[in-house]
Amino acid sequence: MAEDLVLDTAIRDWVLIPLSVVMVLIGVLRYFVSKLMKGSSQIPDPKIVKEGQVIIRARNLRAGANYIPAKSFRARKAYYSNEENGLLHVPKGQAANPQAQMFSDPNMAMDMMKKNLSMIIPQTLTFAWVNFFFSGFVAAKIPFPLTQRFRAMLQNGIDLSTVDVSYVSSRSWYFLNLFGLRGLFSLILGEENATDDTQRMMQMSGFGMDPSKTLGAEKDGLDIVQHEWVLPKFEQRAESVLRKLVK
Amino acid sequence: MVTRTEEEEVNRLENQVENGGGGVWEYLCLVHKLKLRRSDMVLKHGLSILNDSKKRSALGPEEWTLYEQVAVAAMDCQSIDVAKDCIKVLQRKFPGSKRVGRLEAMLLEARGLWSEAENAFSSLLEENPFDQVVHKRRVAMAKAQGNTSAAIDWLNKYLDLFMADHEAWRELAEIYVSLQMYKQAAFCYEELILSQPTVPLYHLAYADVLYTLGGLENLQTAKKYYASTIALTGGKSTRALFGICLCTSAIGQLTKGRNKEDKESPELQSLSAMALEKDYKQRAPGKLSVLSSTLRSLKI
Repeated sequence: MAEDLVLDTAIRDWVLIPLSVVMVLIGVLRYFVSKLMKGSSQIPDPKIVKEGQVIIRARNLRAGANYIPAKSFRARKAYYSNEENGLLHVPKGQAANPQAQMFSDPNMAMDMMKKNLSMIIPQTLTFAWVNFFFSGFVAAKIPFPLTQRFRAMLQNGIDLSTVDVSYVSSRSWYFLNLFGLRGLFSLILGEENATDDTQRMMQMSGFGMDPSKTLGAEKDGLDIVQHEWVLPKFEQRAESVLRKLVK
Repeated sequence: MVTRTEEEEVNRLENQVENGGGGVWEYLCLVHKLKLRRSDMVLKHGLSILNDSKKRSALGPEEWTLYEQVAVAAMDCQSIDVAKDCIKVLQRKFPGSKRVGRLEAMLLEARGLWSEAENAFSSLLEENPFDQVVHKRRVAMAKAQGNTSAAIDWLNKYLDLFMADHEAWRELAEIYVSLQMYKQAAFCYEELILSQPTVPLYHLAYADVLYTLGGLENLQTAKKYYASTIALTGGKSTRALFGICLCTSAIGQLTKGRNKEDKESPELQSLSAMALEKDYKQRAPGKLSVLSSTLRSLKI
């Protein structure tokens, strides 16, 4: 086992610190570039806005059905869920799957591509840069011992099994920076900065939500609602209220 | 809806502000948050902050929202010059902003330049067809010109898209009532009851509309909704108590001669009459005789 490796201070000055600074600068740059590319806030599709509103209104109807007379309820129910042109009725063929929708709308695909590009290009470039200039450096040492399992994490790019695990290779330092700087970014750029990759991932997975499905679910919910007018009960309640009042 | 505690808080702050006790900014924030219309107060005190450069810069970025708030209040008070100044400041700060563009269009509207304002609003809507404020301004403008049918058109167009906006439904209901289109108004009030089933105001208004429509079925329904208003207000709604009496008498007249239909709550009418008498005794004893003669004339 080799005794302590002594790291040159030049490594600190020319590898460790520049690497971190470059990572931060690239993060900031990415933020502004993605802000520029986002362009004007796109206008939502009127169909989607309307569907959202229809769902709210249908939900209100379901919740408050017992507060309106049976005739009014039936009229509304027919309006929402009749098979020809009800608001909640989705024709079978038209239930477009989101994948197809995405491809049919070039804007959407373009948007995704822009986002991905602003994420991937700087990452590949910096990775290539680090690989080219700093491969094989031992850039830092953490002040506590670690088990062998951490070797893959901390000594990426050095294939020596004899080096103590607490030494960090430059490529690993790059990865640590890549994933560990989010807190710093939210400090510099404000809470909802564009570099937050995890959030973007979440957005993408939630992307495929199908509005027609929610419409259908709402329609099914409306179909099973039993209308039971509560107003006659209110009459009795009013009587008891008045009786108390008159007494 | 403004709750009672919030209203008390506003009134307390307003008193404090009026007597020079400070807290102007908190008052303005609260008014803004609750969307109250106290334009004269906002104009007076908002301007006092805006004219004091030290206080103004202490607000930081909130300064600009205050400018907007004061501009709208000034338009409401017909202080066109003040509004113009505020908008000019905002224009310099945010050139090309749509929000400022909206204010400009509203300024045109406040000055009564209807066609110019109309053009401005239309071009705003072209850029963003989902600007609810602009849609509503157009309705307000049609109403201000006395063009109720146009207001109805605009409102229907708006509700076709934003059909969950109950404030718009309420506005439409009131317009329909003013035009005596009671069937349509009844539909709107049903919609309001659906969205907020426990607000007695809507039950009362719906009952009024049904009573006005007439017919046995409507009268019976109206009576039920008056009853629900009583239940929801704890018997404090005088209008609903009168409504019960009127409905019962009207139903009695319609069913006279025929065998009486099953009555779910035979006592309701006498009880509400008693509640009315008690209320009048307490609050307006001088008018008690008028009330009792009225009630007697209603008795079948």
